[in-house]
Amino acid sequence: MLAVRSSHKPSSTKRLLLATVIGVALFIGSNFVDEYRIFQGAQIAAYLVGIISIVLLTGYSGQITLGQGAFMAVGAYSAAIVVQEFGLPIWITFFIAVLAAALFGAIIGISAGRLSGPYLAGATLAFAVGIPALANAIPILGGEQGLSFDIGYAPGKYADTVSPYKWLFWICALCAIIAVVVAVNLTSSGLGRQWRAVRAHETAAALCGINPARSKVLAFTVSSGFAGLAGVSFSATVGLVSPSGFTLALSFLLLTGAILGGISHISGALGGAIIVVIIPTIFESWTEEASLGVATYLPGIIVSALLLLSIALAPEGPTEALHKLRHRKSKSH
Amino acid sequence: MNLINTLIAGVSIGAIYSLIAFALILVWRSTRVVNFAQAGQAAFSTYIGLSIEKALDNFWLALIGAIIAGLVVGAFVEVVIVRFIVKRATSAATATVAPVIAMLGLLGIFQGVMGLIWGGEYQAYPTAFSRDGISINGTQIPFSQNDLFVLLTVVVAMSIAALIFQKTSLGLAMRAAAFAPEVTRLSGIRVSRIRTLGWAFAGGVGGLAGVLVAPTTFIAPNSFDLLLVFGFTAAVIGGLDSLIGGVLGGLALGIGLSVVTGYLGGSYTFMTAFVLLIVVLLIRPQGILGARGARRA
Repeated sequence: MLAVRSSHKPSSTKRLLLATVIGVALFIGSNFVDEYRIFQGAQIAAYLVGIISIVLLTGYSGQITLGQGAFMAVGAYSAAIVVQEFGLPIWITFFIAVLAAALFGAIIGISAGRLSGPYLAGATLAFAVGIPALANAIPILGGEQGLSFDIGYAPGKYADTVSPYKWLFWICALCAIIAVVVAVNLTSSGLGRQWRAVRAHETAAALCGINPARSKVLAFTVSSGFAGLAGVSFSATVGLVSPSGFTLALSFLLLTGAILGGISHISGALGGAIIVVIIPTIFESWTEEASLGVATYLPGIIVSALLLLSIALAPEGPTEALHKLRHRKSKSH
Repeated sequence: MNLINTLIAGVSIGAIYSLIAFALILVWRSTRVVNFAQAGQAAFSTYIGLSIEKALDNFWLALIGAIIAGLVVGAFVEVVIVRFIVKRATSAATATVAPVIAMLGLLGIFQGVMGLIWGGEYQAYPTAFSRDGISINGTQIPFSQNDLFVLLTVVVAMSIAALIFQKTSLGLAMRAAAFAPEVTRLSGIRVSRIRTLGWAFAGGVGGLAGVLVAPTTFIAPNSFDLLLVFGFTAAVIGGLDSLIGGVLGGLALGIGLSVVTGYLGGSYTFMTAFVLLIVVLLIRPQGILGARGARRA
């Protein structure tokens, strides 16, 4: 079934064209909305990349991760250190973040790739709790205050006309578009098929000549690279890399976005990112008259309840559930 | 002498890890779900205890209240949520992932609700005993009356649990339901009811652990996250299938971390636990006491 569907997908040149059109549309569109919406757009772009990293690892390769925030932290911290210690230009830090996180993911993947189910969940959970604590302990990482990470203004003569938020949005959106294109191409390539094969049946995949262990470690590496990019985008929106930015809550929020959007397809990631960014702000305006506690905790409760409901009613995500529903209907006729 | 001090300090905190490990293993054995929401359940029960403490100013009533709250919450979680998720998840391709994520969603709901009711600040939890070190021959050792109380309580709780499991027909039913649910069902035992009871017991143990640890860690909606990770580590060290293994794993972890903290400093505590978890998972995924070739889920 999966193979049949992927044969209908557009070719990679068409995808590239589509991505360029979307990019230009966003570029033009960003001039017509207010600053706050632009900032939200940047946040959505950062979360989108983070969610894609989870979809690749959990949805395609079948390895659960509760600690994606930790890989994001690795990317973000390496970017901030490079800026602080060597004074390299900002755009290079994005590449360094991806490489550093991917390398780290490879190391973790070699050990974690051998785990499964609750063991993997527990290990990655420990990882998510531990990395912020570790950042506190190592002096070069700036302790509780963290390191500043400022992507600054648009270059040259545009610095006056392009607002900082718009500049931020362009960078984050560009990262997100590149991430989406790479992820879609990856998942429809042989590598993506290998991941799905290993997820579906490890022994059968091995019989077809796939090395399951290698495929899993590769999934960890690639996913971590995406997480590193997400981490540096995320830090750019905050302007800071600190332990309090990469909490367990962030990892859970990304996982929630991935599940709500549909864990088994890249296409759901955008929906998931929009949900996790927009829901809290909706409640901020609704609960302005209510107490501070309601505004602080209600979004979390709603998002968690959505997560629980979606995993109970549509474990493979809303798109998959709709697909099944349609399939069932057409069968009964 | 210093080493001995460090060791006995580790025993008391290790006893609490044992309780959490016990609760996790009890649930794992009966349902094949690692209850990551246990941190939320335990914190919720502890908050109930704190409310009773504030209203009645009685530590013991608060302790009992927290345990009962834990029992009720545990049973509630199993009946209302887990049963449904497990039934649904078996058919989906996400079968191993779904229960874990559902438990996380539950944890999020618990933490949000606690924040709504009791606020997000860390609150002190009183204890009936002194937390100053006991003096022996004029020298103070890092082991307080409270530590002694914690240790004794855990020993009593574990003894009661062992009695129930080994000597009563209910315990036999629970062991049977964990070992071979289908056969147990054929023998006329209501496995689903036994399962609910297991979750309730685990919740009660979590509530007890919460009240015992709260005077040291303070209580906030997410203050038990780290405890959950340590409890899970302890459970894995012992092998996720063995209750005794989990208890021993908790003690070993407590002592080990206490030694590391004592000699290397507090910032290495978590790293040690994490490395230990990974090493055990890689070398002996079936745990120290687990049988060779035990289930790897």
